[in-house]
Amino acid sequence: MTAVPATRASGAEDPTTAAGPALRCAGLTKSFGAGPVVDGVDLVAERGDFVALLGPSGCGKTTTLRMIAGLEEPDAGTVEVDGRLVARPGRAEPPERRRVGMVFQDYALFPHLSVAKNVAFGLPRGRDRADRVAAALETVGLAGLGERMPHELSGGQQQRVALARALAPEPAIVLLDEPFSNLDAELRAQVRAEVRQILGDAGATAILVTHDQEEALSLADRIAVMWDGRVVQDANPEELYHRPVSRAVAAFVGDAQFLPGDGLGRRVATELGELPASGGATGPVEVMLRPESVRLALAPGAPSAPGPGEDAGEGDGPGRPAGASGTVVTRAFYGHDQLVTVRLDSGRVLRARLGTYGGIRPGDQVTVSVRGAVLAFPRMG
Amino acid sequence: MLTLRPRPAAKPASLVRGASAAGGGALAAPWRGRGGVRVRRGRPPVVVWLPAVLAGLLMLTPLVYLVIRAGESGGDVWGLVLRARTARVLANTALLALAVAAAGSAIAVPLAWLTSWTDLPLRRWWAMAAALPLVVPSYVGALTVVAALGPRGALQGSLERWGVERLPTIYGFFGAWLTLTLFTYPYVFLSVRAALRGLDPALQEASRGLGHGPWRAFFRCTLPQLRPGIAAGALLAALYAVSDFGVVTLLRYDTFVRAIYVQYRASFDRTLAAALALLLVAFAAGLVLAEARLRGRAAYHRLGGGAARRPKPIALGRWRWPALAYCASVVGLALGLPLGVLVFWLLRGVSGGEGLDGLATAAVHSVSVSALAAAAATLAALPVATLAVRYAGRVAGLAERVTYLGYALPGIVVGLAFVFLGANYLTPLYKTLPLMVLAYVVRFLPQAVGAVRTSLLQVSPRLEEAARGLGRGPAGATWRVTVPLTRSGLAAGAALVFLTVMKELPITLFLSPIEYDTLATSVWNATGGGAYGKAAAPALLLIAVSAVPTLLLVARDRTARVGRD
Amino acid sequence: MEGKRTVAPNPTDDHEARTAPLIAAEAAVLADEQTLTRRRLVRLATAGAAGMAATGYALERASAQDATPDPAPDPEADPEAGEDEEATPAPGGTPVGSAGELVVYSGRNEELVGDLVPRIEGGTGVDLEVEYAGTSELAAQILEEGENTPAGLFLAQDAGALGALAAEGRLQELPAELLERVDPRFRSPDGLWVGISGRSRVLVYNTDQVTEDRLPASVLDLPTAGFEGQVGWAPTNASFQAFVTALRVLEGDEGARAWLEAMQGIDPVVFESNGDVVRAVGRGEIQVGLVNHYYLYEIQAEEQTELPIANHFFQAGDPGSLVNVAGVGILAGTDQAEQAEAVVDYLLTEPAQAYFAEQTFEYPLIQGVPLAEGLRPLEEVQGPEIDLSDLADLEGTLALLTELGII
Repeated sequence: MTAVPATRASGAEDPTTAAGPALRCAGLTKSFGAGPVVDGVDLVAERGDFVALLGPSGCGKTTTLRMIAGLEEPDAGTVEVDGRLVARPGRAEPPERRRVGMVFQDYALFPHLSVAKNVAFGLPRGRDRADRVAAALETVGLAGLGERMPHELSGGQQQRVALARALAPEPAIVLLDEPFSNLDAELRAQVRAEVRQILGDAGATAILVTHDQEEALSLADRIAVMWDGRVVQDANPEELYHRPVSRAVAAFVGDAQFLPGDGLGRRVATELGELPASGGATGPVEVMLRPESVRLALAPGAPSAPGPGEDAGEGDGPGRPAGASGTVVTRAFYGHDQLVTVRLDSGRVLRARLGTYGGIRPGDQVTVSVRGAVLAFPRMG
Repeated sequence: MLTLRPRPAAKPASLVRGASAAGGGALAAPWRGRGGVRVRRGRPPVVVWLPAVLAGLLMLTPLVYLVIRAGESGGDVWGLVLRARTARVLANTALLALAVAAAGSAIAVPLAWLTSWTDLPLRRWWAMAAALPLVVPSYVGALTVVAALGPRGALQGSLERWGVERLPTIYGFFGAWLTLTLFTYPYVFLSVRAALRGLDPALQEASRGLGHGPWRAFFRCTLPQLRPGIAAGALLAALYAVSDFGVVTLLRYDTFVRAIYVQYRASFDRTLAAALALLLVAFAAGLVLAEARLRGRAAYHRLGGGAARRPKPIALGRWRWPALAYCASVVGLALGLPLGVLVFWLLRGVSGGEGLDGLATAAVHSVSVSALAAAAATLAALPVATLAVRYAGRVAGLAERVTYLGYALPGIVVGLAFVFLGANYLTPLYKTLPLMVLAYVVRFLPQAVGAVRTSLLQVSPRLEEAARGLGRGPAGATWRVTVPLTRSGLAAGAALVFLTVMKELPITLFLSPIEYDTLATSVWNATGGGAYGKAAAPALLLIAVSAVPTLLLVARDRTARVGRD
Repeated sequence: MEGKRTVAPNPTDDHEARTAPLIAAEAAVLADEQTLTRRRLVRLATAGAAGMAATGYALERASAQDATPDPAPDPEADPEAGEDEEATPAPGGTPVGSAGELVVYSGRNEELVGDLVPRIEGGTGVDLEVEYAGTSELAAQILEEGENTPAGLFLAQDAGALGALAAEGRLQELPAELLERVDPRFRSPDGLWVGISGRSRVLVYNTDQVTEDRLPASVLDLPTAGFEGQVGWAPTNASFQAFVTALRVLEGDEGARAWLEAMQGIDPVVFESNGDVVRAVGRGEIQVGLVNHYYLYEIQAEEQTELPIANHFFQAGDPGSLVNVAGVGILAGTDQAEQAEAVVDYLLTEPAQAYFAEQTFEYPLIQGVPLAEGLRPLEEVQGPEIDLSDLADLEGTLALLTELGII
């Protein structure tokens, strides 16, 4: 999977080439009245890939998905499924001929059909139909529930029926449109993992549309971030998290806080001292700080006894920054970690995610510093 | 969950999670989009827009006819349209329409509430009985009202021994208003009941929790939410009052339709009648717009739909008896009175030797043509409703509302339009069942569109898309998914059209194959000859036959399916 | 990208939430509450209705085909007759030869003329297909149908509708031989329609309560004849309105208005129909009523006991003794003119006229047919000297009645 944000070159390729990627979208564009909703989206998924389309509400990700499924006709651009051209302007194959499975946000289970009949819906009539239904239900762990009606199942079970139904006809790709947003938080984590495993077991190529960055980061092999109808970054989860292409993406993917600074080439001068800038920086910039890269050390003479962890004592790097002093404002304890809010003496508030073995309390005086190199974005206005 | 899969450790929710996802509500109704039904803005496929456009053109037939006819009139048309009487009958009509709508709503809302949300004894029975006056043809209803409450009617007769010589007159506004209200309030009743059953009782309960008493909760919380339902039902009742001829004639109230009939009957002048009818269309357009206003921007309430939890019935306590008395008096007046008078006439007629010949044939004719019209109207409603719901836009909305204008036209106008069309342009079809059915469809399509549209709104387009993704073409997806899921709405629309065609008169007289007697024409024949005894049997049979689909509509009233959780 | 936070509207994310006309939503809401049994029931009902419709239609078509006459001559028809199309009908209505079909639009109620239809068919050999509807509705229908009307003959309850069709050129001239059988007062001056039966306005009175010498000679004197609260009328009745029209023609609009106001002054009792007026007079609830003459006979025939009622005819030439007719016209351009003429011919022969005299108690309009008992001969009634075609301005009458609050 390749991000081609700057060019739209791939559309020119010969569509008849067999054994192309499972999915290739090139220059997909779609307008509804005023202005394009999807504006030249390129997207490639190799077989077995799990790709997430991540973006805020209204960024065009669902429309992109619907163009891939054949539920919308693109104004421009092409869609290839398994090397076969299924959509170009003026000629789009209907969804039923695309070999694309869909799992909807609300699952769209047919309420008038039993679970088995839902799963059988996309299968050709034949002797092995019942077997394939049973196998599909087995795959999703619902063996024996075929005669239930959808409303008799829990939300997670419904989710898996939807998945079984989409997978049963063995589509070239499975499209998942916000499939977890109807589940409550606890169930969601569980179902996500199950879905990931089912898809992996089936060797399916999947495109997941979501506005939930945590979901995208934890599930996908690659993430394409969409913003205002365009793919602004297409990368694997680590790269996306640590090296977002813009301040906006940074803020959208994960918890990010920004600190003004002045770029000095390889370093940035901030109120936390001079920080190493990965990729370099010049002029007025903003530095992205993830909470887990903020370090706190109890100031000497603080009421709380200093513990071994508070200064994040993983061996100080060369040129240890001076840091800045501040006061702990709040502390939220999560068990596996904790989130601490600190007000710097300058009045700026920062969040730090720390290990849980400390005795930091609100009111403690701390020294705030940053671990590792930081990413700097040009400062606007 | 029956799963052995490892449960991953729950992670704390991220601080920057986007919009929080929906919770349990969606679990209850997984097939309904939490944000409601999304609307496609794309170009509708040919299978949708072509039939819808054809249906729309068909609906315009009477209007085109009226424009042609009115165009033939010379200068007199302005004299007629602008004369004082026009203003007076217009005012009368407006007064009647509004009064019928208001009174119908006032009667229907408590009835609907009592039969849906309370522990009223026999409430399902009351619900059926309260819907049934809809099947009484209003001209028959008017005859019976006159017979019972008119001068020297049954009421006065029974009061005579106390020396009551004369009752306040039933004729004029009061009688017309009373009669039309009694026989059209079920439109509001059915629609409000549907809305009530779709309402989330949690809202009412929340309101109670905020310290409002039950009455205040009803007025502050429930009633405003019923507004669209009331408006929709009241519109049909008002349009009925506008287009009705039988009641206003028998009860002598001068409305616009009567003025139109005077042109036909007294002057044999179709052009001036057409000009007046166009004015009536304009008036009806005003009503339709007013309804849109009243309906307001209120959201579609029934997202939870049938999945909504049924509230615990509200205990009426000592209010039970007044409530029962209320239901009994409404049902007694609107159903008991006409049935009583008809049975009285029947017994008197049978003892007077009236035979019942030909009733079976007439009944078969009535049912046949009504069933055909119901099927055709429902079929025509499907693309119109699909266009309106799935591809909603200004044009689709407008098209849907235009259909109501035909509904406001008196039957004679629609009938003559099809006489004109049939005799001159579709000669082989003239006076055959197909053209007759077509005219019924034009007159009553809005009822079917409304019902289909409502049920279509509750079917998520995702379902159709899922079917497409699973290899079904558009037709296959409609047949396998949409139709089964909207079946009850389709049946409801069909039932409404069925019972209105059963009692329809002018189109039947104009367009039925010659000597094709129906129950309605039998009633008309008999009453026209003053033979009420003879009219009673077909009238009762008509009511009985029409009652069947109506009862099926209401009988499906079920308490919540339990055990979902 | 930064700073450009405007988010393009995602059409798939918004939804147009509208509330539909909810009328039948009752069922829709309950879609998923239905039990399977209910569904089956509905399905059965739907299938049943459709099946019934199909069967009904099939039956209809079958019977329509049955009704289509065989190409072979009708066995009942005179086999010779077809050859001599000019054959003059024998008096007494022996079957004439123009057997065939005739579509009749009848504005006269089936109750009144239904029994006559088989007699006409027997008398002429013509198969009648009769569409019954209101006279004015049928007139409008014929005007809309134009040349393509399936009807050959229009049977109207009153002369006004026939006059309207004649004025629009929708009627064709009747053979003089037929017209001449009827007094010129009761047929179209242009020979486009002809009356087939007559009815006179009368004052019905209760013979126990009123002696005839108390009754006024002119309807104009009724308001001052001392029947306060004792007069019944049926102002929505077409015959009453025709009488008021005659009153307007004869006495002028102001005269008519004055009379109506004077009548309102004596508090007349309003009824739905003439029949109700006569019944009320029979019961003695009121003493007199303004009605058509034949209701008395109908009511007498219908009641088991003899009622104390009689008709009072106003003086000859009085508007109160207006004689109106039901009549027929043959539609212009019809291909059934021959059959239609045969039927008109039959209607103007003794058997049909006797039917009107004996069954509907109307005035026969040809000579030599005995009247119902107690009926004053038409020559003596001598309705007002008024051309029935002048009674066309019903609208003015309705406007007047409405204005006075009478209807």
